[in-house]
Amino acid sequence: MPWKDRYTLSDEIAMADADVRWPGKAQCCAMIFVALTDAEHADGLRPADLATGRAQFTMGEGLDLMLEALAKRRLKATFTVPAAMARVWPARIREVAAAGHEIAALGLRHEDVSKLARDDEAARLALTTEIIGEVVGQRPDGWFALPRQNDAFATGAISESTLSLLIDGGYRYMGPGLADDAPHYCCPDYASRRTIVALPYYYHYDDQFFSMFPQQGSGLETTDMMARNWRAELAAQYRRGRCFALYLNPRFIGWCNRMQLLDEFLDELAALPRLWNPTGRECTDHWLATYPPATHFKLEPSVWKDYPDSAS
Amino acid sequence: MRDGHLADIEALTKAAHAFSERHQMIPHIDWPDGARIAVNFTIDYDAMLRRRMANEPPMQLAKGEFGGRVGIWRLIDLFDRNKVKATFFTPGRICELYPQSLVKITKSGHEIADHMWEHRVPTEPDIEEAHLTRATAALTRIYGRRPVGTRSSHTAGLLRREGYIYRSHGHASASHLPYYLVDQTGKNVLVELPWHYSIDDAMYYNFGWLESVNLAQKLSDPDRVLEMWWAGFRHQYLRGGYYNVVLHPFISGRALRIDMLDRLITRMKTLPGVWFPSCEDVARHCLAHYPPQKDTLA
Repeated sequence: MPWKDRYTLSDEIAMADADVRWPGKAQCCAMIFVALTDAEHADGLRPADLATGRAQFTMGEGLDLMLEALAKRRLKATFTVPAAMARVWPARIREVAAAGHEIAALGLRHEDVSKLARDDEAARLALTTEIIGEVVGQRPDGWFALPRQNDAFATGAISESTLSLLIDGGYRYMGPGLADDAPHYCCPDYASRRTIVALPYYYHYDDQFFSMFPQQGSGLETTDMMARNWRAELAAQYRRGRCFALYLNPRFIGWCNRMQLLDEFLDELAALPRLWNPTGRECTDHWLATYPPATHFKLEPSVWKDYPDSAS
Repeated sequence: MRDGHLADIEALTKAAHAFSERHQMIPHIDWPDGARIAVNFTIDYDAMLRRRMANEPPMQLAKGEFGGRVGIWRLIDLFDRNKVKATFFTPGRICELYPQSLVKITKSGHEIADHMWEHRVPTEPDIEEAHLTRATAALTRIYGRRPVGTRSSHTAGLLRREGYIYRSHGHASASHLPYYLVDQTGKNVLVELPWHYSIDDAMYYNFGWLESVNLAQKLSDPDRVLEMWWAGFRHQYLRGGYYNVVLHPFISGRALRIDMLDRLITRMKTLPGVWFPSCEDVARHCLAHYPPQKDTLA
């Protein structure tokens, strides 16, 4: 097999904590991602998903609460938006952008692209770029494949073609990045060494997996554990000088006790004196300029040997 | 009717006794230098191999990739800083995927043990043998000596032939303390170093643990797990026992959990008589001081 295919997306050893630097006197990076979606299934948003009180909350009071919480603390966020939502709610999306936040793509309809034919996936990506560009007045630099509550895996799904299509489509960064807790490079094929920045994601800092989750049973609300995970990870990353990435969904975090937890946590986060709070685009700019892939993406030579009795 | 029930009970009796016959428990173990407890930190260095065997999608593999390129280095640093000797159960394929980390593990004086060739034990005997010998050879090349322990369900006879002396596999754990187990032939004894899934990080943190369905996921946090693991440690400490903590680099290598493990080790060290050996150290101590009766390890 070509080295790493079907096993890894990035290089062999992550950048050490001591080598990670952030702009100015910042010692840690904290990014906030807000997903404006109500997709429930792998095929993405359906008309029925948007004809609900929950969807009204997402783009109404829930979004207002997010914008208010961020503005109160002068924090910036990256809003991940399915192109379809941008077309349905263009004024709201422009309002988010006007508040200084970034708009990144969350697929065409927040669909699972992993089973799509390459042509279909490419066409959807082109339309996504076009729609968000029209609504926002600037094409998206970031593209995300965030998981949904009903997914079999909490890691998001991409296809074998996705990374190449994103690079071809002019995207500069993608998510979710699971192979590091700092920005890192993902490489779709060993031969070309082409890369795209991946921004970190981990489902323990994603509200949807603690807010009445799983969807059936009892004792499902575990947002106390979620808040402890937030605090423990932020403290650890701040000390290491690395990166903390928080993922929010207004339809979950915007309600009741959860919103109070978030308000208290954002107070603590914003009070940290040496924290840099960029959008995904700003973080990517910094990473590409400071750690260009030509010098910092290091694929080791292959020592792999295939055997007929083993997976290739 | 009555005779049928009695025959059923006789079958139950035979099954239980035959299985019991294969075990030799060690009721009490005196550890070296008067230690009250032996604590093994055992790391299953799977990275993405299990996910790859299940043909899972790219981001699931990337979740495991974190273990190879980030988490493993943090765990090595954690154990080195705390002067704790750990045992890394390593699939042979990891020697090709992340060789530099294994070199570092060896240089730091930790133990490298077997965790199958590609995180599976083939059912075909000839392929199973090929996998075990290949994994053993790959680990030996980096470790500089043959591994003597395994976390696998490999056939005991094969393991003994390849020089293995112990197994630490949760499915088989029959006691809090190490014990001996012979195979169905009454031979091929191995030291069993037990552990329990309640001291396994994956059970608390990994979405989809052991292929569990979406509706079975109840993710946890490190503060909660720390208190449970501390209680488990105290239970064995007070009795004078053994504690085997199972970790995965792609799970416990996350920054918040490294901090939690640091707190756990620091708390353990506040008590006198806590011994942090490798698994090999524990197995050889048992063999030297409480030798098996049913079979012998040459």
